[in-house]
Amino acid sequence: MSGIFNLLLLQNTLRTATPVVLCALGCLMTERAGFMNIGVEGMMLMGAFFAVLGSYLYGSWVMGLVFAIVLGVLLGLFYYVFSITFKSDEFVIGVALNILAGGLTVFLLRTLFGVKGSFSDPGIVPLPTLHFTWLEQIPVLGTLVSGNTLLVYISWLLVFLCWLLLYKTPLGFHLRASGEAPEALRASGVNPDRMKMLASVLCGILASLSGAHLSLGYLTMFSENMSASRGFVAVACVIFGGGNPPRVFLAALLFGFIDALGIRLQRYIPSDITSMAPYVVTVVMMVVVVLMKRRKKKIRQGEER
Amino acid sequence: MADSSPIVRFDHVSVRYPGALANDDVSLAIRRGEAFALVGENGAGKTTLMNVLYGLTRPTLGTVTIKGEAISARHDPMRAMAMGVGMVHQHFKLVPSFTVAQNIALGSEPVKNLVFYDHKKINSEVLALGKRFGLPVNPDDIVDDLSVGLQQRVEILKALHRGADILVLDEPTAVLSPGESDELFEVLRGIVLKQGMTVILITHKLHEVMQFSDRVGVMKQGRLEGIVNTAETDEHKLAAMMVGREVLFDELRTGRPTDREVLQLKDLRAQDDRGLPAVKGIDLTVHAGEIVGVCGVEGNGQTELTECIMGMRPQTGGEVYLSGQNISRLSPRQIRARGVSYIPADRMRTGLSAEATVMENLLVGKQRQKEFSRFGIQFRKRRANAYARELSEVFDIRAGGIDIPMKSLSGGNMQKAVIAREFSFDTPVLIINQPTRGVDIGAIEFIHEKILQKRAAGCAILLVSADLDELFRLSDRLVTLFEGQLTGQFQNGAIGKQEISYYMTGGRQEVQA
Amino acid sequence: MRKWRLPAALRTLIAIKPKQKLTAQYLLSLLIAVTLAFLVGAGIMLLCGYDPLICYAALFKGALGKPRAIGNTLAKTATLCLTGLAMSVAAKSGIFNVGGEGQLYFGGIAAAVVGARMAGAPDWIIIGCALLAALLAGGAYAWVPGILKVKLKVDEVVTTILLNSAAIYFCAYLANGPLKTTERGISSGTDSVAASFSPLIKLSNLNGSVFVAIIATLLIWYLMTRSTTGFEMKITGTNRRFADYGGIRADRLMMVGMVLSGMLCGLVGMIEVFGIHKRFITNLSNEYYFDGMLVAMIMRYQPMGVILMSFFFAVLNIGGSAMELSAGISSEVILIVQSVIIFFMAAQGGIRQSLHAYTVKRRVRRAHAREVRT
Repeated sequence: MSGIFNLLLLQNTLRTATPVVLCALGCLMTERAGFMNIGVEGMMLMGAFFAVLGSYLYGSWVMGLVFAIVLGVLLGLFYYVFSITFKSDEFVIGVALNILAGGLTVFLLRTLFGVKGSFSDPGIVPLPTLHFTWLEQIPVLGTLVSGNTLLVYISWLLVFLCWLLLYKTPLGFHLRASGEAPEALRASGVNPDRMKMLASVLCGILASLSGAHLSLGYLTMFSENMSASRGFVAVACVIFGGGNPPRVFLAALLFGFIDALGIRLQRYIPSDITSMAPYVVTVVMMVVVVLMKRRKKKIRQGEER
Repeated sequence: MADSSPIVRFDHVSVRYPGALANDDVSLAIRRGEAFALVGENGAGKTTLMNVLYGLTRPTLGTVTIKGEAISARHDPMRAMAMGVGMVHQHFKLVPSFTVAQNIALGSEPVKNLVFYDHKKINSEVLALGKRFGLPVNPDDIVDDLSVGLQQRVEILKALHRGADILVLDEPTAVLSPGESDELFEVLRGIVLKQGMTVILITHKLHEVMQFSDRVGVMKQGRLEGIVNTAETDEHKLAAMMVGREVLFDELRTGRPTDREVLQLKDLRAQDDRGLPAVKGIDLTVHAGEIVGVCGVEGNGQTELTECIMGMRPQTGGEVYLSGQNISRLSPRQIRARGVSYIPADRMRTGLSAEATVMENLLVGKQRQKEFSRFGIQFRKRRANAYARELSEVFDIRAGGIDIPMKSLSGGNMQKAVIAREFSFDTPVLIINQPTRGVDIGAIEFIHEKILQKRAAGCAILLVSADLDELFRLSDRLVTLFEGQLTGQFQNGAIGKQEISYYMTGGRQEVQA
Repeated sequence: MRKWRLPAALRTLIAIKPKQKLTAQYLLSLLIAVTLAFLVGAGIMLLCGYDPLICYAALFKGALGKPRAIGNTLAKTATLCLTGLAMSVAAKSGIFNVGGEGQLYFGGIAAAVVGARMAGAPDWIIIGCALLAALLAGGAYAWVPGILKVKLKVDEVVTTILLNSAAIYFCAYLANGPLKTTERGISSGTDSVAASFSPLIKLSNLNGSVFVAIIATLLIWYLMTRSTTGFEMKITGTNRRFADYGGIRADRLMMVGMVLSGMLCGLVGMIEVFGIHKRFITNLSNEYYFDGMLVAMIMRYQPMGVILMSFFFAVLNIGGSAMELSAGISSEVILIVQSVIIFFMAAQGGIRQSLHAYTVKRRVRRAHAREVRT
């Protein structure tokens, strides 16, 4: 058992959860602003590709991140213009974005790099791994916290910053109001559409960065469809977490845990089953959350009678 | 009291929307420090005019001057507030999950350390403001948990916090009880007199106008019919200006109810959407050929009551009987089959499908009848279309055809469609909730006639309305509903509108035998 | 000063009229969308150094040039039509089935297993039983997220997407594990089936299954446009609360829509197995359901529109692969073209509104200016 449940498992959990965390934070922003973005899957995929592109072309992971961030801004604006300004169905735009991402990345893979399936090259510079030597003294926590790549730490910071933004700053209030009561916000002189645009751009950036973590984080490559439905899992996490950053973070960690566990168990259980597990667990979790909410409501009603 | 220089001036303001002229060449001057009432029927253009003042709507023609300064082409709520205009809307513009302080500060939040919300500062500001104007509130209360009256208070404080000295209130008493309304007017009077501010009141309730204002402007179909000093007019004259004819005092048209008890409610109980008790034990009987009118301020359990009877809301106690049959825990489908039809208060949400065509909306409920469905499989479109056209004619539904989406009809025609459908089931029991809300006066007459026809045909009708005039016009018996309980039962003619208000607000309670 | 008026077609386009099904306005927008998309595609081709005219010519030739190509295009049309209708029948009832891929896989594997085990029976019985098995499997797998939505209000978009992955992995597990074939030379997949659809056009994918597809299409079209149940489904889809209030069994109808959707997907899986591969393989479908979903979304879930558009998209699909072979440009550019069509069609209402608002403003400004002058 100790072969499976050890520190390495927890480390893998953190690393596998990170793209979901980043993406979920982005989804959280748009969800709070009143619109759900299922196109994050496509945004993640495109972010992964463009991060590799930037890193490869300029031989620098910084450029990789820059490419991803710029892409994220553009995607966020694009999604905003179509969903809000042109009032399209968010679902349709999201799905179309995913299709576009799939098509575009494969097209560029073949046209720019001339390969099929995946692109891996020593010219791609991965994200740096950060070691905190002073932390490594601490027995368990030390090895966990130190030695992860950049975006993992940024993702933790962002969870905190998102929480701070939404609950402690006027800008965050405006963002929440733009989703919950846009007319109230408008009558107060703040344009809710501008808030939604901000949320969309933040979502684009975060989803794109989550892709960058996938392709430049530990693996240093881009492969077709490497997002593997993680964007949708992120959406599910936002639903579990009720739009609350710390809770969403925990949900994403849970997913990471199941995923990492699955990889560990591949020695004993067929790989297809272990790959399937996180998705099934996520669905079960969604059902459990709904059931728990119902029970809570019934108890509260029973008490009031 | 009021000084003669105008604080707000409208010069030949027109607001045109595609297909409608909401304001037609309105010129109006409001004096500093006065209490001005703007009256008119639904759709007369009062709210539109004030929206222009507040920057929510742009005028097609004309200019508006506030304190001598003309509004710019880019006028918006921010600028209006900067110029001193504060608006309290009919539908509150509050964020339910935020605190009172957060709502009051929305858009102008105090910050500390450049970025963070200064919770302490705004709280103390709110408390001070509440004290100054006589509108005390607790800054940390969550708005969603507050009563409607308190929520309105927050709305008002919001305007005052921004430094408004021109306060516009849009139908403020629509959701208040008469007691709360009186309180509100007292506070407003204090604001006008003591603090020297100007108050503009939009309303269609004439007694409020007489009670509160210095001058009245009457609007009708987008035009300003005239301005009079309140002291020199009365409700009759105002009503005549508003509508062009006297509609206030109609003759009572009671019917002849039979003894047959058709609908019986015994100790009926239900909860609202939040799980709090909304209907707290109601006993009521409706006879064939009788209209029982339920009087009550909105939010006292009316909608929960009607939904409960119809099976759209679970009962938490009590029974409902239909001609002796217990229909208490049945679904709407089953209840309809047993002879009940329902006109809901919210036609857009519940009574219609906006996207479906007129024909489809009219046929719902009948689609499985043999006439419209062959073997329950094929839908007989041609017959359905013919039926829809017939029904449209009988009920005077003005639409460009029966195959256009319902949402392209006017409010009045949509309501007529709901009524057409529900009435055409020819059920012995009709539950009607707000039959003429948002409907123009011509259609109101028509709908009332149809309801009376149903009564004459022997239906048992439960009529819920926020409009006392309507209830007094149509009902045989009146019951008052307050906080989920019946506080009184009267024969129409045995009680006046003023007195019944006391029962509607729990001020008085009839001792039930 | 001469009044400049917008060209009539553009004026019709931006005149805001109440939306009815597939109006002339909508179809005009569609035409513009397709043209725009082709232009974008041409732009990409130019950027990559290809000649758009050659590429597009190759596309159309590759789809409709030879009988073999036509056969493939028709076969693809059938697939798209079925998956498009699958999405539509559920969406019209108010429930979004994004899990068609998974239902397709389960249908395929169920049909493959039944087909393989029934060696010896007459062909039509084998096909019939396999068909039933596929319908049951697909329907059952759609039933689960459906019931979760209807009874517990669990969002079906997210659950169905997640269940897709689950299904694909699970079927892969079965095909590589317990149900793996023992036939020689096959590295993965189940046993081959004992019967199959005979090809209609030599060397193409068009086979007898197209008749099954046609029957299924007709049935669904009838259900959605002519039947009483279809009427009730439409009402349920447009306003659930209204349906409940009006006595329509909304829950049941949503489930019917969902299960039918799953069955159609299962059918497609069976067709892939029996028509083409003769066994279940781990990559049975290459996003067939998503392609069908696109068609359904563009045509607003109207059956007639879906049927017609699936032909067009089939041309794009088959033509795209052929284009890659003959002109050299990666076929994914077609996916990009398709997504442009979707973006434009999804936004066309809003774009029209913005254009309309702009022309109204212009008219108002001109009227104002005229007034000021007089």
